[in-house]
Amino acid sequence: MKNTKIEVKDLSLYYGEKQALKNISLEIPRNKVTALIGPSGCGKSTFLRCINRMNDLIPSVKITGEMLVEGIDIYDKNVDVVNIRKKIGMVFQKSNPFPKSIYENVAYGPKINGINNKTELDEIVETSLRQAAIWDELKDRLDDSAMGLSGGQQQRLCIARTLAVSPDIILMDEPASALDPISTSKIEELVHELKEQYTIIIVTHNMQQAARTSDYTAFFYLGELIELGKTNTIFTKPEQKQTEDYITGRFG
Amino acid sequence: MTHFEIELEKLKNVIIKIGNLAEGQVQESIKALLSEPIEGKEVKKIESKIDKLDVKIDEICQSIFALQQPVASDLRFIMGSLQMSNEIERIGDLAVSVIKRNKSIKDKHDLIAKFDIAELGKKVELITSKTNAFFLTRDETLFTEIFSLNTAIKIKSNETILEIITEMKSHSKTVVSGTNLVIVIKHLERISDHCTNIAEYVYFIINAKIIKHDKHEDINLE
Repeated sequence: MKNTKIEVKDLSLYYGEKQALKNISLEIPRNKVTALIGPSGCGKSTFLRCINRMNDLIPSVKITGEMLVEGIDIYDKNVDVVNIRKKIGMVFQKSNPFPKSIYENVAYGPKINGINNKTELDEIVETSLRQAAIWDELKDRLDDSAMGLSGGQQQRLCIARTLAVSPDIILMDEPASALDPISTSKIEELVHELKEQYTIIIVTHNMQQAARTSDYTAFFYLGELIELGKTNTIFTKPEQKQTEDYITGRFG
Repeated sequence: MTHFEIELEKLKNVIIKIGNLAEGQVQESIKALLSEPIEGKEVKKIESKIDKLDVKIDEICQSIFALQQPVASDLRFIMGSLQMSNEIERIGDLAVSVIKRNKSIKDKHDLIAKFDIAELGKKVELITSKTNAFFLTRDETLFTEIFSLNTAIKIKSNETILEIITEMKSHSKTVVSGTNLVIVIKHLERISDHCTNIAEYVYFIINAKIIKHDKHEDINLE
């Protein structure tokens, strides 16, 4: 694959004795959207969390293999995990703004990274909110509490918060599953725009969302990567029968 | 069976039904050509049945697209069904045109025998039934047979038309009947072409390859 951003080599993950990811090898292209699909428990979210070492927080997890981001194995002992998470942002299923003002939510990351200049912070907040397609809605109420926003707005605010620390990669775990169709469509449109600058990996149960938003789709099943290909191919002519059975709803 | 699978099965059954009706119309048109005129009312009735089924296929497909968001082989089946129903409906219309035109051919029996129209008719009946069988069985050997038959039909039609023209040149009283017979032959040839189009859609459903503008020799049968 040309222009690889992330290369995964023979990655396995164990929760204690149970192997949740089995020898995953794949490449994720730069500045494209890659969707991870598969039934519940197939390992797609576990895999997503491997990309910014979120699984480190779970005791009993053991990981083997390599996760190369820009050629550097992020599981290498010498790698600073905080730095990784700065470069690899994450948006979760349930929007989780801080109980602070809209402005503070976005400025929080840059501030803890040492940026204290008000003009600079103002600029970051505006750019991030613009990129998250929510500036026009919020520009006159930046001091209001983020908790008063609608679910869709909160989710876009969380995306703005992720963008504020200038990541390279954005991981999205079911980012629109709790949103109404209009907010969902805004998030999907946003994903489309953000890929110009970021590499995006999105986990979704909504297959049509994967089809609409992604350039590449990976199908996981029982901890294995069954197939990764161009989304157009996966949804019109998948190579593997298991993929065909899953996307056509004839699974199990 | 899921609700979605029931809908797909329903669509498949309507295609089979409309295909069989069109095949019946083709048989009737050949019969009308080779022997006595057939009952016009029955032909009209079936023509209207075909039209209704054609509309029904559009409705089922529209509803599946809107409600089920089909993908992969299901999507191909529905896309193929929409295209095939157009082709089948055209076959039905052409068969009716053959029946109508047939009435304008005077001294028909002499001309039919002279130019061996029975042979051409037999081939057209065969390609129609093989096309229906291909949709039903997905047996890819039928695909090759359909295209071979189409070539044979084309060759036979061209030869026959040339013979009819020669006949018309030397016997001017055959001009009107001869012209009508040429039109009938062209209709039969078009029926054969529609059969190959249907075969291409069935091929697309099976193999996910769009081959409608390919030369048949280039198609790599898997």
